[in-house]
Amino acid sequence: MITCPNCQHQNITGTLFCSQCGAQLIKKDDLSNPQTIPAADFAYQRLITNRLISTPDEQPVGSKAALHIMDAGKIIPLTGQDEFTLGRTAEGQPTIPDIDLSPYNAYEKGVSRLHAKIKVNGSIITVIDLGSVNGTRVNGQKIAPDQPYPLNHGDILSLGRIKIQLLSRKA
Amino acid sequence: MLKEPNYYARLGIPIDATPEEIRRAYRDAALRLHPDVSQAPGRTDLFIKVQEAYEVISDPSKRAAYDATLSPEVTNPPAITTTVLFSRNAIPILAEPQLIYGLLELKARRDTAETPGPPLNFCVVLDCSTSMSGVMMDTVKDTAIEILRQLRQQDLFSLVTFSDNAKLLVPASTHIERTKVETSIRMLRTGGGTEILKGLEMGYNSVLSNYRQDFINHVILITDGNTYGDEEGCLQISGQAKTRGIGISALGIGNKWNDTFLDKLTTRTGGSTTYVTKPREIHDYLREKFLNLGKSYADHVSLNLDLYPEVELEYAFRLEPETAMLESHYPMQLGPVPRNGALEILFEFQVGKIPSDQTSFILGYGLLTLDIPARTSPLYTMRLNFERPVSATQEEELPPLPIIQALSKVTLYRMQEQVQEQVASGKVKEAAHQLKFLATNLLTLGERELAQTVMNEAAHLQEHHEISESGKKRIKYGTRALLLPRSIPLSNELNHDETDKTSGNKGGDEN
Repeated sequence: MITCPNCQHQNITGTLFCSQCGAQLIKKDDLSNPQTIPAADFAYQRLITNRLISTPDEQPVGSKAALHIMDAGKIIPLTGQDEFTLGRTAEGQPTIPDIDLSPYNAYEKGVSRLHAKIKVNGSIITVIDLGSVNGTRVNGQKIAPDQPYPLNHGDILSLGRIKIQLLSRKA
Repeated sequence: MLKEPNYYARLGIPIDATPEEIRRAYRDAALRLHPDVSQAPGRTDLFIKVQEAYEVISDPSKRAAYDATLSPEVTNPPAITTTVLFSRNAIPILAEPQLIYGLLELKARRDTAETPGPPLNFCVVLDCSTSMSGVMMDTVKDTAIEILRQLRQQDLFSLVTFSDNAKLLVPASTHIERTKVETSIRMLRTGGGTEILKGLEMGYNSVLSNYRQDFINHVILITDGNTYGDEEGCLQISGQAKTRGIGISALGIGNKWNDTFLDKLTTRTGGSTTYVTKPREIHDYLREKFLNLGKSYADHVSLNLDLYPEVELEYAFRLEPETAMLESHYPMQLGPVPRNGALEILFEFQVGKIPSDQTSFILGYGLLTLDIPARTSPLYTMRLNFERPVSATQEEELPPLPIIQALSKVTLYRMQEQVQEQVASGKVKEAAHQLKFLATNLLTLGERELAQTVMNEAAHLQEHHEISESGKKRIKYGTRALLLPRSIPLSNELNHDETDKTSGNKGGDEN
């Protein structure tokens, strides 16, 4: 049996994708050509080896940056686009944020449906609060809505009471 | 018109069959056809033919003499290559069950790509019930006329319309009076109910009466409604179509048709069902279907799989050229091999105890039969065994990339299947939970629209304890369409800056 690191579902040996949640059960970094993986930041590597990242599925291989949901210990790579909205889903809501924080008790922790947006522009990463009710903080400092704020590797964002750490690679 | 199959074809064995294979084929045939077993009409004749073949082939000197009479075309293998990739290099001996994936690829050799495609004998069976009126019907008419104008000299096209009754509007003929036919298509009116059996039967008979072995024989059903009470009759026709080598494909328009039924009706013949909601998609589907039929190199490709007792086939999923979950009945109809592409099937096997005293393990003995319409003696059989070395230990190894890529998406299709099963057995909570997982995966793939549909259905499910018909079809055919190589997510890019402003500040206020 293989236990899915994402949802704890028990899968038969030889399963490649969890039959319950669809998570890939084989190491993803083995799949890419090693040369295409840029050398990772030391601190970032340590985060991985310190088991903050538990599933291979979550390794932001090939991405410039990732978000670390601190309470859950989950890493979400920022790949495939250069803008990511953060928020939570709600019944009957027509839009879905790029990064859905609902699994981390977003509602209870005061996250708005569309709370903030992260932009990745080369090595410059910025956050914009989208006029959320409970606001966004960068390292404890509340930021004004609709204004981009630059973020550095290791900065901690608070969306309501959810804490998210930005992880980025050196350019 | 039908040519007498050669002795090997009668037994369904390859031309280089071993004595053991010959014995096994004969025994299997005897079990089915022997007069002591079955008195069904035709069986005894078939048995005599098998007997005759066996007596020659089982005797080495008679066999050699017979082989010398065969044309080189029969003894030459067709220009088809088969490869199977496996998720493991070797099967480990384990105390627990395990899964092994096999990816089968059938390809026509390159030199066949240039030769002209086989002529078509096809019938479009068109639903003209009241609900089909409007722009959908106009699109079907336009496309039918467009196709009519592109028919090649030998192609046989017929058109059946049905509602409460069926009518052969355009009979098959190589000399179609184009203006007359086009006028009658233009003047088509809608009205009445949807009785698929009547239309399907007439369409099937039209193709059957013009059946040619060197043609591609196919029925295309277009409907937007549910048929009542005649599903069994329809399935009987598709069963006959399967044995006669006539393919059936279906196009379901809108949300009212029965997807389970149409999938079953089509896949058993090697065809498939497609779901459309927009007129443009009808046009694209029909055009592509018409072109693809004409591009077949091998037709009636079927696989007989004799699995080791501890091995079970969980499913077989066709990835190319048209995605479909295949019926696990043997012989399994795999669909045609295109002349400039591949036929690809993904198999999932669950393997129990395997013999530990062997270095190699055969999961299943496979026999592939196919027709090459371009040949004068088209039927061909080849061996296709699923075999892997055995290893004492379980190695950390990486499955081939094509398997991972295919599975990353087939898994999503399987997830929605499980959701349907859970809903059917009342496990609403589990189903809703899994729908959310599905939505997350779809978002990761950038399939925002489909993810949205899934999320909406999760909400709908929690409220009404069921999934809406439209949602069910969108999710089913949407996840299946993820596997199409050219599938480009519909560019429904949301403009963040605008949508964010309007809906961004409502949440969290309950805190």
